Amino acid sequence: MIDRLRNSAAFWAIVGTVALLGFWEAFVRIRDVRKFVLLPPSEIGSTFLDNPSFYLENIWVTARHLVIGLAIALVVSLALGALLAAFRPLEHASQPLLVLILVTPWVAYISSIVLWLGRGTPSILFLVSFVTVPAFVYATVGGMRSADPAARELFASIQASRWEVLWRLRLPSALPSLFTAARFNVGLGLAAAYFAEGAALSSDGLGEAGRRAVAFNEGSILWTTILCTAVLGILGQVAVLLLERWLLRWHASQRRSAR
Amino acid sequence: MHGIHAAGVSKRFGTVEALSPVDLSIAPGEIVTLLGPSGCGKTTLLRMIAGLEPVGSGTITVDGAAPEAARGHKRFGLVPQSPALLPWRTVEANARLLQDINVSANPSPLPDVVELLDRVGLAEFHDAYPHELSGGMQQRVGLVRAFALGAPYLLMDEPFAALDEITRADMRHLLATLCEPTNTGVLFVTHSLAEAVFLSDRVAVLSARPGRIVGTVDVDLPHPRVPEIEDDPAFFAIETELRRLLHDGAGR
Repeated sequence: MIDRLRNSAAFWAIVGTVALLGFWEAFVRIRDVRKFVLLPPSEIGSTFLDNPSFYLENIWVTARHLVIGLAIALVVSLALGALLAAFRPLEHASQPLLVLILVTPWVAYISSIVLWLGRGTPSILFLVSFVTVPAFVYATVGGMRSADPAARELFASIQASRWEVLWRLRLPSALPSLFTAARFNVGLGLAAAYFAEGAALSSDGLGEAGRRAVAFNEGSILWTTILCTAVLGILGQVAVLLLERWLLRWHASQRRSAR
Repeated sequence: MHGIHAAGVSKRFGTVEALSPVDLSIAPGEIVTLLGPSGCGKTTLLRMIAGLEPVGSGTITVDGAAPEAARGHKRFGLVPQSPALLPWRTVEANARLLQDINVSANPSPLPDVVELLDRVGLAEFHDAYPHELSGGMQQRVGLVRAFALGAPYLLMDEPFAALDEITRADMRHLLATLCEPTNTGVLFVTHSLAEAVFLSDRVAVLSARPGRIVGTVDVDLPHPRVPEIEDDPAFFAIETELRRLLHDGAGR
Protein backbone atom coordinates (compact mmCIF):
# COMPACT_ATOMS: atom_id res chain seq x y z
CA MET A 1 0.00 0.00 0.00
CA ILE A 2 2.71 2.47 1.03
CA ASP A 3 4.88 1.30 -1.86
CA ARG A 4 2.03 1.94 -4.25
CA LEU A 5 1.60 5.44 -2.88
CA ARG A 6 5.30 6.06 -3.23
CA ASN A 7 5.13 5.22 -6.94
CA SER A 8 1.92 7.09 -7.67
CA ALA A 9 2.31 10.26 -9.72
CA ALA A 10 -1.00 11.65 -8.41
CA PHE A 11 0.12 11.22 -4.80
CA TRP A 12 3.28 13.25 -5.34
CA ALA A 13 1.38 15.92 -7.28
CA ILE A 14 -0.92 16.35 -4.26
CA VAL A 15 2.07 16.48 -1.90
CA GLY A 16 3.62 19.18 -4.10
CA THR A 17 0.40 21.21 -4.19
CA VAL A 18 -0.07 21.10 -0.41
CA ALA A 19 3.58 22.09 0.14
CA LEU A 20 3.26 25.00 -2.30
CA LEU A 21 0.07 26.31 -0.65
CA GLY A 22 1.62 25.96 2.81
CA PHE A 23 4.76 27.81 1.82
CA TRP A 24 2.73 30.53 0.07
CA GLU A 25 0.44 31.05 3.10
CA ALA A 26 3.36 31.11 5.55
CA PHE A 27 5.45 33.44 3.39
CA VAL A 28 2.67 36.04 3.00
CA ARG A 29 1.78 35.95 6.73
CA ILE A 30 5.33 35.99 8.11
CA ARG A 31 6.59 38.71 5.74
CA ASP A 32 3.27 40.59 6.09
CA VAL A 33 3.04 41.13 2.29
CA ARG A 34 0.53 43.76 1.14
CA LYS A 35 -2.77 42.43 -0.29
CA PHE A 36 -2.20 43.93 -3.70
CA VAL A 37 1.23 42.37 -4.08
CA LEU A 38 0.23 38.86 -3.07
CA LEU A 39 -2.77 37.37 -1.30
CA PRO A 40 -2.49 34.21 0.83
CA PRO A 41 -4.45 31.20 -0.46
CA SER A 42 -6.81 31.17 2.55
CA GLU A 43 -8.00 34.71 1.76
CA ILE A 44 -8.32 33.87 -1.94
CA GLY A 45 -10.60 31.04 -0.86
CA SER A 46 -12.77 33.25 1.35
CA THR A 47 -12.94 36.02 -1.32
CA PHE A 48 -14.11 33.42 -3.82
CA LEU A 49 -16.77 32.13 -1.41
CA ASP A 50 -18.05 35.67 -0.83
CA ASN A 51 -19.37 35.76 -4.38
CA PRO A 52 -18.77 32.44 -6.17
CA SER A 53 -21.26 33.07 -9.01
CA PHE A 54 -19.31 36.20 -10.05
CA TYR A 55 -16.11 34.19 -10.52
CA LEU A 56 -17.78 31.13 -12.03
CA GLU A 57 -19.61 33.26 -14.59
CA ASN A 58 -16.40 35.01 -15.58
CA ILE A 59 -14.53 31.71 -15.80
CA TRP A 60 -17.26 30.44 -18.10
CA VAL A 61 -17.03 33.55 -20.34
CA THR A 62 -13.25 33.34 -20.63
CA ALA A 63 -13.37 29.57 -21.17
CA ARG A 64 -15.74 30.15 -24.09
CA HIS A 65 -13.45 32.79 -25.59
CA LEU A 66 -10.51 30.42 -25.26
CA VAL A 67 -12.20 27.32 -26.69
CA ILE A 68 -13.88 29.09 -29.63
CA GLY A 69 -10.72 31.05 -30.40
CA LEU A 70 -8.58 27.89 -30.38
CA ALA A 71 -11.12 26.02 -32.51
CA ILE A 72 -11.07 28.77 -35.15
CA ALA A 73 -7.26 28.78 -35.08
CA LEU A 74 -7.15 25.00 -35.46
CA VAL A 75 -9.48 24.94 -38.48
CA VAL A 76 -7.57 27.77 -40.19
CA SER A 77 -4.22 26.14 -39.38
CA LEU A 78 -5.21 22.70 -40.68
CA ALA A 79 -6.32 24.16 -44.01
CA LEU A 80 -3.29 26.43 -44.24
CA GLY A 81 -0.90 23.73 -43.01
CA ALA A 82 -2.15 21.16 -45.53
CA LEU A 83 -1.63 23.71 -48.29
CA LEU A 84 1.88 24.63 -47.11
CA ALA A 85 2.84 20.96 -46.67
CA ALA A 86 1.86 20.32 -50.28
CA PHE A 87 3.68 23.31 -51.81
CA ARG A 88 7.14 24.04 -50.44
CA PRO A 89 7.55 27.53 -52.03
CA LEU A 90 4.34 28.58 -50.30
CA GLU A 91 5.75 27.34 -47.00
CA HIS A 92 8.87 29.48 -47.41
CA ALA A 93 6.79 32.46 -48.48
CA SER A 94 4.58 32.22 -45.40
CA GLN A 95 7.47 32.16 -42.90
CA PRO A 96 7.84 35.96 -42.49
CA LEU A 97 4.14 36.32 -41.68
CA LEU A 98 4.11 33.47 -39.15
CA VAL A 99 7.24 34.69 -37.40
CA LEU A 100 5.86 38.23 -37.35
CA ILE A 101 2.69 37.01 -35.61
CA LEU A 102 4.77 35.08 -33.08
CA VAL A 103 7.13 37.90 -32.09
CA THR A 104 4.94 41.02 -32.25
CA PRO A 105 3.57 41.93 -28.79
CA TRP A 106 -0.25 42.05 -28.70
CA VAL A 107 -0.18 45.08 -26.38
CA ALA A 108 1.11 47.04 -29.34
CA TYR A 109 -1.72 46.38 -31.75
CA ILE A 110 -4.77 45.45 -29.64
CA SER A 111 -6.25 48.97 -29.93
CA SER A 112 -6.04 48.71 -33.73
CA ILE A 113 -7.95 45.41 -33.59
CA VAL A 114 -10.63 46.94 -31.36
CA LEU A 115 -10.89 49.90 -33.71
CA TRP A 116 -11.28 47.50 -36.65
CA LEU A 117 -13.57 44.79 -35.21
CA GLY A 118 -15.32 46.73 -32.46
CA ARG A 119 -15.35 46.15 -28.71
CA GLY A 120 -16.02 42.81 -27.06
CA THR A 121 -16.18 39.28 -28.40
CA PRO A 122 -15.08 39.71 -32.06
CA SER A 123 -11.82 41.40 -31.07
CA ILE A 124 -11.15 38.90 -28.29
CA LEU A 125 -11.74 35.85 -30.51
CA PHE A 126 -9.62 37.39 -33.25
CA LEU A 127 -6.66 37.91 -30.93
CA VAL A 128 -6.86 34.41 -29.42
CA SER A 129 -7.01 32.79 -32.88
CA PHE A 130 -4.43 35.09 -34.42
CA VAL A 131 -1.68 34.41 -31.88
CA THR A 132 -2.27 30.65 -31.73
CA VAL A 133 -2.24 30.05 -35.50
CA PRO A 134 1.58 29.93 -35.99
CA ALA A 135 2.20 27.06 -33.54
CA PHE A 136 -0.68 25.06 -35.03
CA VAL A 137 0.56 25.70 -38.58
CA TYR A 138 4.11 24.61 -37.75
CA ALA A 139 2.76 21.47 -36.09
CA THR A 140 0.53 20.66 -39.07
CA VAL A 141 3.26 21.14 -41.67
CA GLY A 142 5.92 19.27 -39.69
CA GLY A 143 3.58 16.45 -38.73
CA MET A 144 2.22 15.95 -42.23
CA ARG A 145 5.75 15.86 -43.64
CA SER A 146 6.70 13.19 -41.10
CA ALA A 147 4.28 10.65 -42.64
CA ASP A 148 6.08 7.34 -43.28
CA PRO A 149 7.55 7.45 -46.84
CA ALA A 150 6.87 3.72 -47.31
CA ALA A 151 3.21 4.30 -46.43
CA ARG A 152 3.06 7.19 -48.91
CA GLU A 153 4.43 4.82 -51.57
CA LEU A 154 1.77 2.29 -50.63
CA PHE A 155 -0.96 4.91 -51.06
CA ALA A 156 0.53 5.90 -54.42
CA SER A 157 0.61 2.27 -55.60
CA ILE A 158 -3.18 2.25 -55.79
CA GLN A 159 -3.58 5.88 -56.88
CA ALA A 160 -5.01 7.26 -53.65
CA SER A 161 -6.53 10.69 -54.19
CA ARG A 162 -4.96 13.78 -52.60
CA TRP A 163 -7.90 13.87 -50.20
CA GLU A 164 -7.39 10.23 -49.14
CA VAL A 165 -3.68 10.81 -48.54
CA LEU A 166 -4.51 13.90 -46.49
CA TRP A 167 -7.30 12.37 -44.45
CA ARG A 168 -6.04 8.84 -43.94
CA LEU A 169 -2.28 9.38 -43.78
CA ARG A 170 -1.08 12.96 -43.36
CA LEU A 171 -3.59 14.20 -40.80
CA PRO A 172 -3.20 11.24 -38.37
CA SER A 173 0.59 11.58 -38.77
CA ALA A 174 0.28 15.22 -37.66
CA LEU A 175 -1.78 14.45 -34.53
CA PRO A 176 1.15 13.98 -32.09
CA SER A 177 2.74 17.32 -32.99
CA LEU A 178 -0.68 19.00 -33.03
CA PHE A 179 -1.24 17.94 -29.44
CA THR A 180 2.14 19.32 -28.41
CA ALA A 181 1.16 22.62 -30.04
CA ALA A 182 -2.25 22.50 -28.36
CA ARG A 183 -0.68 22.29 -24.90
CA PHE A 184 1.46 25.31 -25.71
CA ASN A 185 -1.48 27.17 -27.24
CA VAL A 186 -3.81 26.65 -24.27
CA GLY A 187 -1.43 28.78 -22.20
CA LEU A 188 -0.83 31.32 -24.94
CA GLY A 189 -4.51 31.56 -25.87
CA LEU A 190 -5.57 32.01 -22.24
CA ALA A 191 -3.11 34.88 -21.79
CA ALA A 192 -4.38 36.45 -25.02
CA ALA A 193 -8.03 36.02 -23.94
CA TYR A 194 -7.37 37.55 -20.49
CA PHE A 195 -5.47 40.47 -21.97
CA ALA A 196 -7.99 41.08 -24.77
CA GLU A 197 -10.96 41.02 -22.37
CA GLY A 198 -9.34 43.74 -20.31
CA ALA A 199 -8.29 45.79 -23.31
CA ALA A 200 -11.29 45.34 -25.62
CA LEU A 201 -13.78 47.03 -23.29
CA SER A 202 -15.61 43.76 -22.89
CA SER A 203 -18.36 43.72 -20.26
CA ASP A 204 -17.33 40.42 -18.64
CA GLY A 205 -14.64 37.75 -18.56
CA LEU A 206 -11.76 37.21 -16.13
CA GLY A 207 -9.58 39.78 -17.91
CA GLU A 208 -12.23 42.48 -17.49
CA ALA A 209 -12.82 41.48 -13.83
CA GLY A 210 -9.07 41.77 -13.24
CA ARG A 211 -8.85 45.15 -14.99
CA ARG A 212 -11.68 46.55 -12.86
CA ALA A 213 -10.12 45.17 -9.64
CA VAL A 214 -6.90 47.02 -10.50
CA ALA A 215 -8.81 50.20 -11.34
CA PHE A 216 -10.69 50.11 -8.00
CA ASN A 217 -7.63 49.00 -6.01
CA GLU A 218 -9.26 45.69 -4.99
CA GLY A 219 -6.24 43.48 -4.22
CA SER A 220 -8.22 40.48 -3.00
CA ILE A 221 -10.54 40.43 -6.03
CA LEU A 222 -7.54 40.80 -8.35
CA TRP A 223 -5.73 37.82 -6.81
CA THR A 224 -8.85 35.67 -6.75
CA THR A 225 -9.36 36.46 -10.44
CA ILE A 226 -5.74 35.56 -11.16
CA LEU A 227 -6.06 32.21 -9.41
CA CYS A 228 -9.35 31.50 -11.22
CA THR A 229 -7.51 32.15 -14.49
CA ALA A 230 -4.75 29.76 -13.46
CA VAL A 231 -7.30 27.07 -12.55
CA LEU A 232 -8.94 27.55 -15.96
CA GLY A 233 -5.51 27.08 -17.57
CA ILE A 234 -4.96 23.85 -15.63
CA LEU A 235 -8.40 22.57 -16.65
CA GLY A 236 -7.50 23.36 -20.27
CA GLN A 237 -4.26 21.40 -20.00
CA VAL A 238 -6.06 18.45 -18.42
CA ALA A 239 -8.69 18.48 -21.17
CA VAL A 240 -5.96 18.40 -23.85
CA LEU A 241 -4.17 15.63 -21.99
CA LEU A 242 -7.29 13.45 -21.73
CA LEU A 243 -8.13 14.00 -25.39
CA GLU A 244 -4.55 13.13 -26.31
CA ARG A 245 -4.62 9.96 -24.26
CA TRP A 246 -7.76 8.85 -26.04
CA LEU A 247 -6.90 9.89 -29.60
CA LEU A 248 -3.22 8.92 -29.44
CA ARG A 249 -3.59 5.63 -27.58
CA TRP A 250 -1.60 4.04 -30.44
CA HIS A 251 1.33 6.47 -30.11
CA ALA A 252 4.66 5.70 -28.42
CA SER A 253 4.27 8.69 -26.07
CA GLN A 254 1.12 7.20 -24.54
CA ARG A 255 2.47 3.75 -23.80
CA ARG A 256 3.21 2.78 -20.22
CA SER A 257 6.94 2.56 -19.80
CA ALA A 258 6.72 0.55 -16.56
CA ARG A 259 5.94 -2.86 -17.99
CA MET B 1 -1.62 -8.95 -74.23
CA HIS B 2 -1.79 -10.52 -70.78
CA GLY B 3 0.98 -10.29 -68.24
CA ILE B 4 3.65 -7.75 -67.44
CA HIS B 5 6.10 -7.03 -70.23
CA ALA B 6 9.21 -4.89 -69.89
CA ALA B 7 11.13 -4.34 -73.13
CA GLY B 8 14.49 -2.59 -73.26
CA VAL B 9 13.83 -0.79 -69.99
CA SER B 10 16.69 1.24 -68.55
CA LYS B 11 17.07 4.03 -66.03
CA ARG B 12 19.56 6.79 -65.23
CA PHE B 13 19.65 8.94 -62.11
CA GLY B 14 21.54 12.05 -63.17
CA THR B 15 24.87 10.77 -64.48
CA VAL B 16 24.55 7.39 -62.77
CA GLU B 17 23.32 4.52 -64.92
CA ALA B 18 21.16 2.52 -62.52
CA LEU B 19 19.81 -0.08 -64.95
CA SER B 20 21.03 -1.19 -68.38
CA PRO B 21 18.33 -2.14 -70.90
CA VAL B 22 16.42 -5.11 -69.47
CA ASP B 23 13.77 -7.42 -70.94
CA LEU B 24 11.47 -9.20 -68.52
CA SER B 25 8.03 -10.82 -68.71
CA ILE B 26 5.71 -12.10 -66.03
CA ALA B 27 2.78 -14.24 -67.16
CA PRO B 28 -0.45 -14.30 -65.14
CA GLY B 29 -0.02 -16.69 -62.23
CA GLU B 30 3.74 -16.86 -62.65
CA ILE B 31 6.15 -16.11 -59.82
CA VAL B 32 9.30 -14.36 -61.06
CA THR B 33 12.15 -13.32 -58.81
CA LEU B 34 14.69 -10.58 -59.46
CA LEU B 35 17.87 -11.66 -57.70
CA GLY B 36 20.85 -9.37 -57.40
CA PRO B 37 23.29 -7.57 -55.12
CA SER B 38 22.38 -4.34 -53.32
CA GLY B 39 22.20 -1.30 -55.58
CA CYS B 40 21.84 -3.30 -58.80
CA GLY B 41 18.61 -1.53 -59.77
CA LYS B 42 16.20 -4.37 -58.98
CA THR B 43 14.06 -2.15 -56.75
CA THR B 44 14.16 0.56 -59.43
CA LEU B 45 12.81 -1.91 -61.98
CA LEU B 46 10.02 -2.94 -59.60
CA ARG B 47 9.13 0.70 -58.95
CA MET B 48 8.98 1.43 -62.70
CA ILE B 49 6.68 -1.56 -63.23
CA ALA B 50 4.51 -0.32 -60.33
CA GLY B 51 4.23 3.09 -62.00
CA LEU B 52 5.94 4.77 -59.03
CA GLU B 53 9.03 5.78 -61.02
CA PRO B 54 8.99 7.16 -64.59
CA VAL B 55 10.39 4.68 -67.12
CA GLY B 56 13.79 5.90 -68.35
CA SER B 57 13.72 4.32 -71.79
CA GLY B 58 11.97 1.29 -73.26
CA THR B 59 8.37 0.30 -72.59
CA ILE B 60 6.47 -1.44 -69.81
CA THR B 61 2.94 -2.76 -70.26
CA VAL B 62 0.68 -4.37 -67.69
CA ASP B 63 -2.08 -6.39 -69.39
CA GLY B 64 -1.54 -4.06 -72.35
CA ALA B 65 -1.81 -0.82 -70.35
CA ALA B 66 0.76 1.65 -69.06
CA PRO B 67 1.91 1.16 -65.41
CA GLU B 68 0.32 4.46 -64.30
CA ALA B 69 -3.06 3.36 -65.67
CA ALA B 70 -2.69 -0.09 -64.05
CA ARG B 71 -1.98 1.64 -60.73
CA GLY B 72 -5.25 3.58 -60.99
CA HIS B 73 -7.13 0.33 -61.58
CA LYS B 74 -5.55 -1.27 -58.49
CA ARG B 75 -3.74 -3.95 -60.48
CA PHE B 76 -0.81 -4.13 -58.04
CA GLY B 77 -0.60 -5.33 -54.47
CA LEU B 78 2.60 -3.74 -53.20
CA VAL B 79 4.57 -5.24 -50.32
CA PRO B 80 7.25 -2.72 -49.38
CA GLN B 81 10.51 -3.48 -47.62
CA SER B 82 9.30 -2.11 -44.27
CA PRO B 83 5.81 -3.24 -43.22
CA ALA B 84 4.62 0.41 -43.36
CA LEU B 85 1.68 -0.30 -41.07
CA LEU B 86 -0.26 2.74 -39.89
CA PRO B 87 0.23 2.84 -36.11
CA TRP B 88 -3.24 4.27 -35.44
CA ARG B 89 -4.99 1.39 -37.19
CA THR B 90 -5.54 -2.03 -35.66
CA VAL B 91 -4.20 -5.13 -37.38
CA GLU B 92 -7.51 -5.77 -39.12
CA ALA B 93 -7.91 -2.12 -40.16
CA ASN B 94 -4.35 -2.12 -41.50
CA ALA B 95 -5.03 -5.29 -43.47
CA ARG B 96 -8.09 -3.53 -44.94
CA LEU B 97 -6.23 -0.29 -45.74
CA LEU B 98 -5.80 -0.86 -49.48
CA GLN B 99 -9.45 -1.91 -49.78
CA ASP B 100 -10.52 1.35 -48.09
CA ILE B 101 -8.71 3.60 -50.56
CA ASN B 102 -9.69 4.33 -54.16
CA VAL B 103 -12.77 2.23 -53.46
CA SER B 104 -14.31 2.56 -56.92
CA ALA B 105 -11.46 0.49 -58.42
CA ASN B 106 -12.02 -2.45 -56.05
CA PRO B 107 -12.72 -5.81 -57.69
CA SER B 108 -15.75 -7.78 -56.56
CA PRO B 109 -15.87 -9.90 -54.61
CA LEU B 110 -13.01 -8.71 -52.41
CA PRO B 111 -10.93 -11.32 -50.58
CA ASP B 112 -11.98 -11.93 -46.99
CA VAL B 113 -9.53 -10.07 -44.73
CA VAL B 114 -10.56 -11.95 -41.60
CA GLU B 115 -9.97 -15.31 -43.26
CA LEU B 116 -6.59 -14.18 -44.61
CA LEU B 117 -5.49 -13.01 -41.15
CA ASP B 118 -6.50 -16.37 -39.71
CA ARG B 119 -4.52 -18.17 -42.41
CA VAL B 120 -1.30 -16.31 -41.56
CA GLY B 121 -1.74 -17.11 -37.86
CA LEU B 122 -2.97 -13.72 -36.66
CA ALA B 123 -6.44 -14.89 -35.60
CA GLU B 124 -5.94 -13.63 -32.05
CA PHE B 125 -4.48 -10.27 -33.07
CA HIS B 126 -7.24 -8.64 -35.13
CA ASP B 127 -7.69 -5.84 -32.61
CA ALA B 128 -4.03 -5.42 -31.68
CA TYR B 129 -2.04 -2.35 -32.68
CA PRO B 130 1.11 -2.70 -34.81
CA HIS B 131 3.46 -1.83 -31.93
CA GLU B 132 2.21 -4.88 -30.06
CA LEU B 133 3.44 -7.23 -32.81
CA SER B 134 6.87 -8.70 -33.58
CA GLY B 135 8.63 -7.78 -36.82
CA GLY B 136 7.60 -11.04 -38.48
CA MET B 137 3.96 -10.58 -37.47
CA GLN B 138 3.99 -7.01 -38.78
CA GLN B 139 5.24 -8.18 -42.16
CA ARG B 140 2.53 -10.87 -42.21
CA VAL B 141 -0.04 -8.08 -41.88
CA GLY B 142 1.77 -6.39 -44.78
CA LEU B 143 1.34 -9.57 -46.86
CA VAL B 144 -2.34 -9.87 -45.99
CA ARG B 145 -2.86 -6.20 -46.88
CA ALA B 146 -1.49 -6.86 -50.38
CA PHE B 147 -3.41 -10.13 -50.87
CA ALA B 148 -6.62 -8.49 -49.59
CA LEU B 149 -6.60 -6.25 -52.64
CA GLY B 150 -7.40 -9.21 -54.88
CA ALA B 151 -5.04 -7.69 -57.46
CA PRO B 152 -3.78 -9.76 -60.41
CA TYR B 153 -0.16 -8.85 -59.61
CA LEU B 154 1.83 -8.69 -56.41
CA LEU B 155 5.01 -6.65 -56.31
CA MET B 156 7.25 -7.52 -53.38
CA ASP B 157 10.34 -5.47 -52.66
CA GLU B 158 12.61 -7.50 -50.34
CA PRO B 159 9.74 -7.89 -47.87
CA PHE B 160 11.71 -10.12 -45.49
CA ALA B 161 15.05 -8.27 -45.62
CA ALA B 162 14.74 -6.88 -42.09
CA LEU B 163 13.81 -10.21 -40.45
CA ASP B 164 16.06 -12.74 -38.73
CA GLU B 165 17.01 -15.93 -40.57
CA ILE B 166 14.54 -18.23 -38.76
CA THR B 167 11.60 -15.87 -39.25
CA ARG B 168 12.62 -15.38 -42.88
CA ALA B 169 12.36 -19.10 -43.52
CA ASP B 170 8.90 -19.23 -41.90
CA MET B 171 7.81 -16.24 -43.97
CA ARG B 172 8.84 -17.72 -47.32
CA HIS B 173 7.05 -20.96 -46.47
CA LEU B 174 3.95 -18.95 -45.52
CA LEU B 175 4.14 -16.84 -48.67
CA ALA B 176 4.37 -19.97 -50.82
CA THR B 177 1.15 -21.34 -49.34
CA LEU B 178 -0.59 -17.98 -49.80
CA CYS B 179 0.45 -17.86 -53.47
CA GLU B 180 -0.40 -21.49 -54.20
CA PRO B 181 -4.13 -21.62 -54.95
CA THR B 182 -4.35 -18.22 -56.64
CA ASN B 183 -3.80 -17.12 -60.19
CA THR B 184 -1.73 -14.16 -59.08
CA GLY B 185 1.41 -13.07 -60.91
CA VAL B 186 4.22 -12.19 -58.52
CA LEU B 187 7.36 -10.12 -58.99
CA PHE B 188 9.60 -10.82 -56.02
CA VAL B 189 12.78 -8.85 -55.40
CA THR B 190 15.41 -10.33 -53.12
CA HIS B 191 19.10 -10.92 -52.53
CA SER B 192 18.43 -14.26 -50.80
CA LEU B 193 19.19 -17.39 -52.84
CA ALA B 194 16.92 -19.60 -50.69
CA GLU B 195 13.95 -17.25 -51.13
CA ALA B 196 14.54 -17.05 -54.87
CA VAL B 197 14.63 -20.83 -55.37
CA PHE B 198 11.87 -21.72 -52.95
CA LEU B 199 9.29 -19.23 -54.18
CA SER B 200 9.90 -18.83 -57.89
CA ASP B 201 8.91 -20.36 -61.16
CA ARG B 202 11.71 -18.36 -62.78
CA VAL B 203 14.65 -16.36 -61.43
CA ALA B 204 16.28 -13.47 -63.30
CA VAL B 205 19.77 -12.71 -61.99
CA LEU B 206 20.97 -9.12 -62.19
CA SER B 207 24.58 -7.94 -62.26
CA ALA B 208 26.02 -5.20 -60.08
CA ARG B 209 25.32 -1.60 -61.13
CA PRO B 210 24.42 -0.82 -63.80
CA GLY B 211 22.09 -3.79 -63.50
CA ARG B 212 21.56 -6.07 -66.47
CA ILE B 213 20.16 -9.58 -66.59
CA VAL B 214 23.09 -11.99 -66.66
CA GLY B 215 20.93 -15.08 -66.80
CA THR B 216 17.49 -16.54 -66.26
CA VAL B 217 16.93 -19.85 -64.47
CA ASP B 218 13.71 -21.88 -64.54
CA VAL B 219 12.92 -23.52 -61.22
CA ASP B 220 11.44 -26.93 -62.06
CA LEU B 221 10.60 -27.96 -58.52
CA PRO B 222 7.19 -29.53 -57.88
CA HIS B 223 4.23 -27.56 -56.55
CA PRO B 224 3.03 -27.07 -53.87
CA ARG B 225 6.38 -26.03 -52.47
CA VAL B 226 6.87 -27.59 -49.04
CA PRO B 227 9.68 -26.76 -46.59
CA GLU B 228 11.27 -30.23 -47.08
CA ILE B 229 12.13 -29.26 -50.64
CA GLU B 230 14.96 -27.13 -49.29
CA ASP B 231 16.89 -30.33 -48.47
CA ASP B 232 16.49 -31.71 -52.00
CA PRO B 233 19.62 -32.01 -54.19
CA ALA B 234 17.70 -30.33 -57.03
CA PHE B 235 17.19 -27.31 -54.76
CA PHE B 236 20.93 -27.12 -54.08
CA ALA B 237 21.73 -27.49 -57.77
CA ILE B 238 19.60 -24.46 -58.66
CA GLU B 239 21.04 -22.48 -55.75
CA THR B 240 24.55 -23.28 -57.00
CA GLU B 241 23.71 -22.18 -60.50
CA LEU B 242 22.27 -18.90 -59.23
CA ARG B 243 25.35 -18.32 -57.09
CA ARG B 244 27.57 -18.84 -60.13
CA LEU B 245 25.51 -16.32 -62.14
CA LEU B 246 25.67 -13.78 -59.29
CA HIS B 247 29.43 -14.27 -59.15
CA ASP B 248 29.79 -13.79 -62.92
CA GLY B 249 27.67 -10.66 -62.70
CA ALA B 250 29.77 -9.18 -59.93
CA GLY B 251 33.13 -9.96 -61.53
CA ARG B 252 32.66 -8.46 -64.97
